Amino acid sequence: MADERREIPKPLPEITPVTQPFWEAAANGKLVMQRCRACRSWVWCPRPACVECGSEKLEWTPVSGRGNVFAFTVIREVVGRALRGFEKDIPYVTAWIDLEEGPRICSNIVGCPIEKVAIGMPVEVVFEEAGPGIFLPKFRPR
Amino acid sequence: MSLRGKAAIVGVGETPVDRLGGKPGEPRKVTAEYLAWAVRLALEDAGLTKKDFDGQGLAAIYTTNHSQPFWPEEVANILGITPAVSLGGGNGGASAVSLLGQAAAMIDAGVVDLVLVVAAAAPFSEHGRNRAEPADTRDFEMPFGVMGPNCKISFVMSRYMHESGMTTDHFGKIAVTTRYHASLNPDAYLRKPLTLEEYKSARLISDPIRLYDCVLPANGGKAYIMASPERAKTLRKPPVYLLGWGECHNASAGPRFRANPLITGIRESGKAAFEMAGISLSDIDFLALYDDYVPIVMLQIEDLGFCKKNDKEFFERTDFTFKGELPIQTGGGMINCGQPSTTGGMLHVIEAVRQLRGEGGARQVAGAKVGVVTGLGAVNYGKNFGCTAAAILGKQY
Repeated sequence: MADERREIPKPLPEITPVTQPFWEAAANGKLVMQRCRACRSWVWCPRPACVECGSEKLEWTPVSGRGNVFAFTVIREVVGRALRGFEKDIPYVTAWIDLEEGPRICSNIVGCPIEKVAIGMPVEVVFEEAGPGIFLPKFRPR
Repeated sequence: MSLRGKAAIVGVGETPVDRLGGKPGEPRKVTAEYLAWAVRLALEDAGLTKKDFDGQGLAAIYTTNHSQPFWPEEVANILGITPAVSLGGGNGGASAVSLLGQAAAMIDAGVVDLVLVVAAAAPFSEHGRNRAEPADTRDFEMPFGVMGPNCKISFVMSRYMHESGMTTDHFGKIAVTTRYHASLNPDAYLRKPLTLEEYKSARLISDPIRLYDCVLPANGGKAYIMASPERAKTLRKPPVYLLGWGECHNASAGPRFRANPLITGIRESGKAAFEMAGISLSDIDFLALYDDYVPIVMLQIEDLGFCKKNDKEFFERTDFTFKGELPIQTGGGMINCGQPSTTGGMLHVIEAVRQLRGEGGARQVAGAKVGVVTGLGAVNYGKNFGCTAAAILGKQY
């Protein structure tokens, strides 16, 4: 059972051909999302084709990185072995952030005391290195 | 196509649930044992034998903790049945209700006249096998420390409280009511009555979700048997008929990149079920709603149309007990009876059958003739449940 308690690293995203442009931009400090050239809809999470009209003409498009907290939670317990790497961060905030351009992104609220986080709070993106060359878009108050 | 009255539930079986097998020295049963046990109970209930299912239908629900792509075939092999039709339930907690309609369609088409639907899971004694996550979860939720459904439904609940003005008093009322029902159900796992104060002072798991908002993971197995109406009339127990049914998957209220997570696919699946049944809300004697979290029960009551969205006053004034005007979770629900992974969804079908047969004992809804059963599965990124299904069951058709 000692093995079970060994430190388990936090899971990292698997970079696939569909998601690679997102992570490359993140490594350069830019938040990008797909937008359909045919129907102009935003597409998030990354997809091989537009989930509204089916067009494959998706364009990686920079977004402002500004938004507001739509909903949030304070994580107080780890569930499952795969996520045990987050134990040392508890308590921490995960949230749905509605970006100014429209899409809703799931991330963490950082740089802010937990008790100050509120629905509607204006936030902006900040990139944190989570693994070699992998930068996660997180959000801080603005 | 209408499935109204085209098939009936003729047998149900459920094993006791437990939370054993994860620690050295604890009694340990594996999934196959719960499965075979539940099937035996359902066969006894119906007055059938496993030989009756050779050349008939078999449906097995995939579980999250012990799954392999040929699970329905493995189930046939475990049971020693040679079915003519093999169905896989791949809609998570919605599978039990999904399969009510899918089995009824096979029966109505004349392909088979019996379908055995079975699910079992032993997450405590067989934890973490072959666990795979959807790519959105793997790449865009887990790296941020999103703790599965606890976290995702917390997003929904936090927004729900924000928009509706509801407080822990509103959610607590549901938790206290369902525990009261569990206290009257000898098969429930948590049977000690819960007070509102206990609910409100329980520890936070993922704000605003507290301990008694959450489902109780467990080991267990459950099964039900469907038959054609002709066959049903020859069997031991009074048939419980499928009157209405609908499902809706990957629902998105609003644009897919920013859906309203407070509207579930139960709005569509429930509407389809009521239309098929040709009945109205006032005909319903009880609700058996998929309940992995307390707020989800309330959103479904709204989406079925029993009140408007964010209707705080409705939840304050309505008596949801088995003696009240809108009985819900009459056996205590999964929150008190346990959730053996995706097997949990079977609980509500079985409880509805018990109520409609008049087998509800101390928690029997007087004169229950028609009830609603729902199932939910898979919480999609940024949204609410992906898989949703609703059925209306009745004593007569």
